[in-house]
Amino acid sequence: MAMTWLTLTIGLPWLGALVIWLAGDRDEKFTHLLAVAFSVAAGVAALLLLPYGKERLVYSLPIGGVFGDFTFVVDGLGVFLAAIATVVGSLAVIFSVDYMHGEGQLPRYYAFVLFFIGGMAGLVLTSNLLLMFFFWEITALCSYALISFHNDDPKAVAGGIKALIITQLGGIGLLAGALLLYAYTGSNDFHVLLENPAILPAGVLAWMGFGCLIAAAAKSAQFPFQTWLPDAMEAPTPISALIHAATMVNAGVYLLARFYPAFAGVPGWREAVMIVGMLSALLAAVMAMIATDLKRVLAYSTISQLGFMVYAVGAGGVFASQFHLLSHSVFKALLFLAAGAVIHSVGTRDMRRMGGLGKDMPVTRAVFVIGGLALAGIPIFNGFWSKELILEAGLHENPLWLYVLMVFVAGLTAFYTVRMISMVFYGEAHSERHVHDAGNAMKVALLPLAIGSLTTWLLAGPFGHLLAESLPAHHLEVHSTLAVVEEVITAPATYLALGVVAVGWLTGWRRQRLSRVGQALNGVGKAAAESFGFEAINRGVVNATQKLAEALRVTQPGLLNWNVFAILCALLILLASLAVGGR
Amino acid sequence: MLHLVTAVGILVCAIQAIRSRRLIVSALWLAGTSALVALELYLLGAPEIGVIELSVGAGLVTVLFVFAINLTGEEAADLKGLIKEPLAVVMSVLAIVLLGVLLVPGIDRAGPSVGEPALKVVLWGNRQMDVFLQAVLVFCGVLGVLGLLSERESTPAEHSLSEDGE
Amino acid sequence: MNLSVPNIVILIVIGLLGVGTYALLTVRNLIKVVVALQIMVKAAMLALVLAGRLQGQENLGQSLALTVIVADTIVAVVGLALAVQVRRVVGTLDLSALTTLRR
Repeated sequence: MAMTWLTLTIGLPWLGALVIWLAGDRDEKFTHLLAVAFSVAAGVAALLLLPYGKERLVYSLPIGGVFGDFTFVVDGLGVFLAAIATVVGSLAVIFSVDYMHGEGQLPRYYAFVLFFIGGMAGLVLTSNLLLMFFFWEITALCSYALISFHNDDPKAVAGGIKALIITQLGGIGLLAGALLLYAYTGSNDFHVLLENPAILPAGVLAWMGFGCLIAAAAKSAQFPFQTWLPDAMEAPTPISALIHAATMVNAGVYLLARFYPAFAGVPGWREAVMIVGMLSALLAAVMAMIATDLKRVLAYSTISQLGFMVYAVGAGGVFASQFHLLSHSVFKALLFLAAGAVIHSVGTRDMRRMGGLGKDMPVTRAVFVIGGLALAGIPIFNGFWSKELILEAGLHENPLWLYVLMVFVAGLTAFYTVRMISMVFYGEAHSERHVHDAGNAMKVALLPLAIGSLTTWLLAGPFGHLLAESLPAHHLEVHSTLAVVEEVITAPATYLALGVVAVGWLTGWRRQRLSRVGQALNGVGKAAAESFGFEAINRGVVNATQKLAEALRVTQPGLLNWNVFAILCALLILLASLAVGGR
Repeated sequence: MLHLVTAVGILVCAIQAIRSRRLIVSALWLAGTSALVALELYLLGAPEIGVIELSVGAGLVTVLFVFAINLTGEEAADLKGLIKEPLAVVMSVLAIVLLGVLLVPGIDRAGPSVGEPALKVVLWGNRQMDVFLQAVLVFCGVLGVLGLLSERESTPAEHSLSEDGE
Repeated sequence: MNLSVPNIVILIVIGLLGVGTYALLTVRNLIKVVVALQIMVKAAMLALVLAGRLQGQENLGQSLALTVIVADTIVAVVGLALAVQVRRVVGTLDLSALTTLRR
C-alpha cells in the first residue's frame, strides 16, 4: 500500500503537469480546476504515506547495472518533507486560483508548479544520490522557470537566471558527491555511507562534507550565496510562498540533516556549518530591518530563519532544525500568501506606500499577525517552541559566542517583524486606492496555515518519534510533547531569549522615537542595502558564467555534419585507447 | 555461403541508398537493405525478429519515406557536404579499421549456453521497464505522425519561425 | 581469418556503421540523414542478435533487437515529421539553413 501512495505522491503532480500542458490554454476555469484537483490529490496521497514513515520501507526500481537501483526510502525525514511539499503546494495552488485570475499562459504556470511539487517529493524520498541530483535539478529548473514567469519583465528574467546559476553550484557539488560515493562504494545508495562513514577515506569524506555544505548553502540561500533569494521575489507570490519559503530552499537544510551522521565526525565541519548558519541569520536579519519591499523583507527573514536551521544542524540539534523547518514552512507560507493578498489588493510591494490596511483587510491582517508572532518567536505560536529548541541545542557543548549572537538575531527578528506589520497594516494610509480583502480561494488557503501556525507545535512528540524510529543512524533523543514543553518552560535560557525578543519587539514598536540611534547606525544600513558586498561577489559569479557560456558558443555551430564529426572524434579516441591499452 | 551473399547484398544496398541522387530511389534501396537484414536475422536463428523487421522496417518505414518525400518534393540539387570529402572518408575508414581491429579477433568463441526463459518471458517479464518506455516512445511516434499531417496554420510558433526565416 | 557466420555478421555490422557514419558526415539533406540513421540502427540490431547468440542468451538479444526496431521506427517517424515541417516552415531540406537557434 505504501508503494501506491509513494508512487501517487510523486506521480500525480507530474501527471497533472502533463495533462494541464496538453490541455492547453483554452478554458481558464478548467485549468484552475485541473491544477487544484491534481495538487490536492497528491497532498492526500502524501498524508496517507505519513503513517508508513516509522516503518522505514525501502523500494527499489531495478534500472540496470550502470546507475544502481533507483531506491526510494519511506522514512520520517522523507515523508514529512514530502507532506510539506504537497500540502503547502496544494494550498499555494488554491491560492493561485484568485491570485492568478485573468493572467495569461496559466497552463505554463500550473504545469511548472506541479512538476516542481513532484520533483520536490522525489528529492526527499529517494536514497539514491544520483537520482537525488536529478530531482534537485528539476526543482532548480522549475524555480527558474517560475521566477521568470513574467518573461517580458527583464528584472524577472535576470532574477531567474541568477537563481539558476547560483543553485547550479550546489548541483555540481551533489553530482561530484554522487560520483565519489559510487567510486568508493560501488553504488549510489547513501545509506551505506550514513551507517558507516568510515567506508570512505577521511580526506574524501572531508571533501564531500564541505562540498555538501556549499551545495546546501547555494540551495538554501545561505552565506555567501544569500543574494539570489531576494532577487527571486519577482516570481508570482504563491511561488515565493511555495518554492522560496516552504519547500525548495529547505532542500539544503534537508541535505545537511540527512548527511549529518556521515559528516559530524569530520573535524571542523560542525563548526563551519554553525558559522555559516549564524552569519546568514545575522546578515539577513540586518538587511530585513532596512528593506522597504514587503516581499524582500520576507525573503531576508526566510534566509535568516534558514540560518537558524543550519545552525541547529551544526550544533547537533537535527530534531530541532527539522522541527523549526516544519514551523517555518507553515508560518512563512502563511506570511507570503497573506502578503500576496495585500500586494494583489494594493498593487505595490513597497511598504512605504501601504499603511492602515488593517481596517479594510481584517482577515488578512489577522492571519498576517498570527504568522508574524510565530516568526518573532512569541510563546504559544509554533515558531516559539522550535526556535527555543534550536537555541537550547546551541547551548549544548557548543561555542557560547555563537549562541549569544543567535539570541541577538532572535531579537532582531522581533524588531523587523513588528516594523513590517505596523508599516503595512497600522498607521496612516499612504495609498488612495480602494482595497479589498482576500478572495474566497485565498481564504481557503490562508486559514489552514493560520491554524497550523497556532497548533503544529503540539506535534512535537509524535514528530520526534517518527524521526527517531526511522533514522537509526542519527541517534536522535526525543521526548513527548509534554516533556518538550516542560523542557522549554523550565530552561532559564528561554527567558533570556524571550527578554531579548521583547526588547526587539518594543524597539520595533517605538522605532520612530529612536530615529537618532537609527541615524547613528546609518553606515550599517548602507552596507546592508548592498548586502555587505556579497551582492557583488554573486553578481560576479553570474557574469562569469554567462561570459563563459557566450565564449563557448563557438563550439556549437548548429550544423549536424560538424556535430557528428565531433562525436566521431571522441569515439575514435576511445577506440584507439582501447586498442592500444589492451582490452 | 548464403550468409556471404546476404552480407554483400546488404552492404551494396546500403551504399546505393547513400549514393543515389534521388530521394525516392534512396528510400527504395533502404527498403532493400532492410529486407536483406531481415533475411540475415532469419538465418541467424531469429525468425520472429526477422519477420517484424521485414514488415516494419522494409514495409511501414518505406511507406513513411515515400509519403514524406511526396510531401516535401524531390530536392534533387545535390549540395556539397560541409566537411571535405577526403576528411570524411579518412574518418569513417579509421572508424571501420579500429572497430575491426577491436572486434573481429575473438568473435568466434561462442560462450557457454545459459539456460534462459522463452522470448516472451524475457520480453514481458524481465524487461518490464523497457516495454513501458517503448509505450512512451510509441506515444511520441503518434505525436510525430500528427506533426507530419498537420497543416501550415497549426501553431503560432510556426509562423514566427517562418517570419524569421524569410 | 576464416569466414565463419559470426565473422560475416560482424563485418556487416562494421560495414553498415561505416557507411552510416560517412553519410552523416557528408549528407546535407534531412531525409537522407534519416536514411543514414536507419542504416546505422540496422547494424545495432544485427549486433545485438549476434551478441545474444555468442553469449548463449539468444532470447535476451532478440528481445533487445525488438526494442531497437520499435525505437528505430519512431525515430524514422519523428525525423520525417520534422523534415516535413522544416520544409514547410524554412522552405528547404538543407541542414545548413537550420542554424536559427544560434542567433
